[in-house]
Amino acid sequence: MATSQAAPRGSSDGVPRRRFLGLLLGFSVVSLGAMVAAPIVAFLLPPKSTGAAGGGKTLVGTVADIPLGQGKVVPVGSTPAIIINTEQGVKGFNAICPHLGCIVAWDQGAGNIVCPCHDGRFNASTGAVVSGPPPSGLPPLDVSVEGEEIYVVSA
Amino acid sequence: MAVDDMPVPTPPVSSARPGTLQRVDDWVEERLGWHQLAGVLLHVRVPIRAKTFFFGGITLFLFGVQIATGTLLALYYKPTPEAAYDSVIFITSDLDFGWLIRSVHHWAANLMILFLVLHMIRIFFQAAYKYPRELTWIVGMGLLGVTMLFGFTGYLLPWDQRAYWATVVGTEIAGGIPIIGDFALEVLRGGADVTEATLSRFFGIHVLVLPLMLGAIVAVHLVFVHQQGLADPKEADPRPPAVPTGRTKPFFPNYILEEVIAWLFLLAILVVMASIWPAGLEEEANPLVTPEHTKPEWYFLGVYELLKHIPIKVVGILTPVVFLAILALLPFLDRNPEIRARKRPVAIFLGIVTIAVLIGLTIWGYVS
Repeated sequence: MATSQAAPRGSSDGVPRRRFLGLLLGFSVVSLGAMVAAPIVAFLLPPKSTGAAGGGKTLVGTVADIPLGQGKVVPVGSTPAIIINTEQGVKGFNAICPHLGCIVAWDQGAGNIVCPCHDGRFNASTGAVVSGPPPSGLPPLDVSVEGEEIYVVSA
Repeated sequence: MAVDDMPVPTPPVSSARPGTLQRVDDWVEERLGWHQLAGVLLHVRVPIRAKTFFFGGITLFLFGVQIATGTLLALYYKPTPEAAYDSVIFITSDLDFGWLIRSVHHWAANLMILFLVLHMIRIFFQAAYKYPRELTWIVGMGLLGVTMLFGFTGYLLPWDQRAYWATVVGTEIAGGIPIIGDFALEVLRGGADVTEATLSRFFGIHVLVLPLMLGAIVAVHLVFVHQQGLADPKEADPRPPAVPTGRTKPFFPNYILEEVIAWLFLLAILVVMASIWPAGLEEEANPLVTPEHTKPEWYFLGVYELLKHIPIKVVGILTPVVFLAILALLPFLDRNPEIRARKRPVAIFLGIVTIAVLIGLTIWGYVS
């Protein structure tokens, strides 16, 4: 019979044995590589919750610290927050500017929140953009005043 | 076909491989002539009777595992007394696969010392330290020393009670060496006590100095092995101008394939050990409270037990030093050219007694 000329010995479907073994070896090497790489890649990515507050109420100051018409940047866990005592009550916002990540500050003269990097300005009561390049307003925080103490309540 | 008749495959990577890989190979070859280099490095021959049990290769593989896992750990580890312990807890508990990376580092360190010792024992009983491999043995002793230092410096880093007090005792032992003791203690600790200065210098030595030293010494060791080839345990190497006549097999791919299989087997064992017995952590180091029954790692238990029973401190400290010196000079002390075990009864007897004493002291130290 002359069929052995068409396919090498050990091949039943036309895939040569050497090629089959090569594919098998390649698959094994790739599997092994993935098996070793997966934990390494996962290890390299730090957990998202690193340093974050675990929820609950955080005391950020007293009304005496932040009198009417003034504001202050305070830490809430690992996140900076800006607390402003407005005529509509005590307000709080995430202090990270949505433009390029600088920390905003209270501009008492202008009566609004300012980002010192690119002069983005935000409304003190709502956090909405007043002027400048920020693409969106500052995310509001849940602030409660109990007696003299000001708390930021996080979920 | 007899194995020693097998043709040497040259060049190594260009045989019947069409397409992109072949073109890349040709491109690199044209510029670097790397087939010749690969040929010199890989296409050596190994005596078919050589029985290495892969101990040396496995030790090298474990060193590679230590570099990989150690680099990962160093990304999160903080070498200060205030932060070290918490950063180890963070690695172990909060990071994905942190427990695995840390435990594999822990077990690979232990296995590295175990396989290094097994490699030495194999070399001793096969008389592979004799002519012409005296220098390879001495360089190997350097590898033993550096590996022990790896264990000693790495041990402090978790900054738990066991780590702290093992380092206090270990550096105190170094301080007991005559003449240079006080200087050694000061240099090791970076001051009079084990403090943040000790931690930061142990960290620097562990992650920078020792890896570079071990890498360099391993390179020398491998160059020597490459130049001399593996020892034939049945037949002493001929003195020049005689020509070796024993049967051989190719180092690449035959021997390398067996070696890689052993490495993969070890990797599996490492992961299983790390999963079943993860690296532990005691309470945070407290310089004011020494815990009861504090003991070093198993590879220092023999010295630990010795120190408990030799009443004169200096003698207890110098005994292991003298033992290591004798071991390093073994090729020059043992002048018998014979390599077959039955023709060197004194050496074999002394070797067995030494191993038995070391195992005995270690077990005694463990149970006492």
